[in-house]
Amino acid sequence: MISKISFVVNPVAGMGGKVGLKGTDGVLKQAIKLGAKPIAPNKAEETIEEFISKHSKDDIQWFTCSEKMGADELKKAGIKEMEIVYTSNGKDTNSNDTKNACKEFLKKQVDLILFCGGDGTARDIFEVVKTKIPILGIPSGVKMHSGVFGVNTSATAKMLHEFVNKHLTIGDAEIMDLDEERYRKGEWNIRLFGIAKGIVEPTYVQVGKTSFESVSDDEIKDELTEHIIDEIEQNKDYLFLFGSGGTIDYIAKKLDIKNTLLGIDAVYNKKVVGSDLNEEGILKLLENYPKVKVILSPIGAQGFILGRGNLQLSPKVIEKIGLDNIIVVSTPSKLASTPYIRVDTGDKKLDQLFAKKEFMMIVIGYRLSRVVKTTL
Amino acid sequence: MNRNPNAFLKEEYDELVKNSFDWKLRILETGSTPHSVVDGKEVIMLCSNNYLNLSNHPKLMQSAIDATKKFGAGSGSVRAIAGTMKIHMEVEKRLAKFKRTESSLIYQTGFAANAGLIPQLAGKGDVIISDELNHGSIIDGVRLAKADRAVYKHKDMGELEKVLKDADKKYNRILVITDGVFSMDGDIAPMGEIVKISNEYGAMTYVDDAHGEGVIGPDGRGIGAHFGIEGKIDVEMGTFSKAYGVVGGLVAGSQDLVNFAYNKSRTWLLSGSHPPAVAGAQLAAINVLETEPEHVNRLWDNTKYFKKELNSMGFDIGESETPITPVIVGESSKAKELSNGLYDEGIFALPIVFPMVARDKARIRTMMNAGLTKKDLDYTLDKFEKLGKKLKII
Repeated sequence: MISKISFVVNPVAGMGGKVGLKGTDGVLKQAIKLGAKPIAPNKAEETIEEFISKHSKDDIQWFTCSEKMGADELKKAGIKEMEIVYTSNGKDTNSNDTKNACKEFLKKQVDLILFCGGDGTARDIFEVVKTKIPILGIPSGVKMHSGVFGVNTSATAKMLHEFVNKHLTIGDAEIMDLDEERYRKGEWNIRLFGIAKGIVEPTYVQVGKTSFESVSDDEIKDELTEHIIDEIEQNKDYLFLFGSGGTIDYIAKKLDIKNTLLGIDAVYNKKVVGSDLNEEGILKLLENYPKVKVILSPIGAQGFILGRGNLQLSPKVIEKIGLDNIIVVSTPSKLASTPYIRVDTGDKKLDQLFAKKEFMMIVIGYRLSRVVKTTL
Repeated sequence: MNRNPNAFLKEEYDELVKNSFDWKLRILETGSTPHSVVDGKEVIMLCSNNYLNLSNHPKLMQSAIDATKKFGAGSGSVRAIAGTMKIHMEVEKRLAKFKRTESSLIYQTGFAANAGLIPQLAGKGDVIISDELNHGSIIDGVRLAKADRAVYKHKDMGELEKVLKDADKKYNRILVITDGVFSMDGDIAPMGEIVKISNEYGAMTYVDDAHGEGVIGPDGRGIGAHFGIEGKIDVEMGTFSKAYGVVGGLVAGSQDLVNFAYNKSRTWLLSGSHPPAVAGAQLAAINVLETEPEHVNRLWDNTKYFKKELNSMGFDIGESETPITPVIVGESSKAKELSNGLYDEGIFALPIVFPMVARDKARIRTMMNAGLTKKDLDYTLDKFEKLGKKLKII
């Protein structure tokens, strides 16, 4: 069956990196002044070339944008037939171009948006398409914390092939980016902006001797929910803090708990006792509840459980709760792409203490866990 | 509600057929011999587990006939009630002596041993620690247990130790469970290390040595003998259906283990016991292993020759240390093509494809047989080489 793949390049993505800027958003002119050269068009072309050379038989209908926003790269890689659904007006493209292109992709009901850029580009796309279309990123930005990127151009080309051939399935992928508000105050923080749809390796279970069935992410999340129900029932005197992200949000919904997708909520006796808490709110709760467990899930491409999208769980909070009271849940497909668990609490000592643990047991199913290495 | 209670049978079967996941049963018109007739065609058999060709050994066949004549065709009951015959007890005694353990217990099948015993060894508040590549029957046994489960990376002793360290604080009993020989790659679990690390944390060890019994260790006495740790593995589980050439699961270990196992394993308690013929053949199989070392020797001579030649042709034969030799070809379609090509040439070897193995590691899994001659092997190798070149694998 033919796949409708849309392709957009943010031609200026990544330019800030080489000249020491923390991104290219809003500082393009400065980057060019400092001698920055375009990176994304080459990365895009490289990916498509590799894809075409290895998987020329894949049946794809391409949708893209004018010139260097996609058409140029596709042509250079040897693709002749494509539909240009968006033409950029200005000489220099900006985030509005990406967003407008995505509006056109939505109208065409494409199966996947393949883009070349960084966290900023991913965020622009997500703002328009939300969870309607899965997103796959060719890594080319300065910041690439989001969970939608392939590891490199070659891995991205392979993922595209696997997706077109239905070997890969659709799963949650976090959209992360620099928190500009804090950045303007001189703080470097990566925030969780939302949960998009990415493409992931399905989880398989053996049914016959040599036959396997893929299990959907939702089925795995149901198992994780069962596990958490057991935990809550066995620890009735504990306050449970629910972290952010798609997996935990799913669990909370199943438990009939009104949860904040991107925030921290507190639950005691299956009732919410604090919503979308900030650090202060959590610390205050901890005064009344001495026994606390926190449920987290790895966020973004690098497997962070602290410091990405949950700064409320500050070093002070974590010290009070204790590292041993952190329960980490994850779908196996997510773990397959994030082999390490990391923290970035802002407190070097705490980060090192965590890395020194060397490993954590991550819950991947009902009463089923596996060991995952921790690192800085 | 108006429902067709049987509709799902056809629907689900049709779905399997559509995805080519259904089993197309191949019919043997001969015994499981090195040259078998499969679906009307004579083939060199490279996918049976009859490693030592004992299923055709005259002594095993005669012993089965004698036992039938003496004790009849069936046993009449489950072991626990009135189905334990003297001959059953004799096999267990002989097996324990052969395995150099205090005691042993025979189950109806290997699956029945795993599904019956594992859930009894660990319950609520306990944990079962499992190699990620363990066999499906272990996985099902573990699923039936009320214990928590933790998985470590294949043969990664660093990870095993980490899991044990974590489990030590949280659980009452800890059970570490692994395949002895892993059936997809033919590699062997580092049992000496597993026992050592597990002992440090007071964990019980359990090995499923289905592909190792009769194959590895002196006289084919299995993985305990292979590592020189006989009697040190808490539960040595295995099967009579592969190298021993008969059928039946086995558990070897302490008398305490055996007493516990037969009183608590529901599969053992609730299935009829083996017919006397089976017990007779089992007894003869142990005798043959002890008195005729040539079978195990020939199996290994064949294995070494076959591996050496495949390797020098340029095939990727993985990390196997046993008579299971995977011929890794890459894409699934290539493995199927090679298997079909081999069958046309009179060689029966099955393809193993994703997701049984990684997507780019599809393979033909070959299992050596002691009954194959050098001429058989040379013929097979020649066909592998020709097809390998034709399909651009080598």
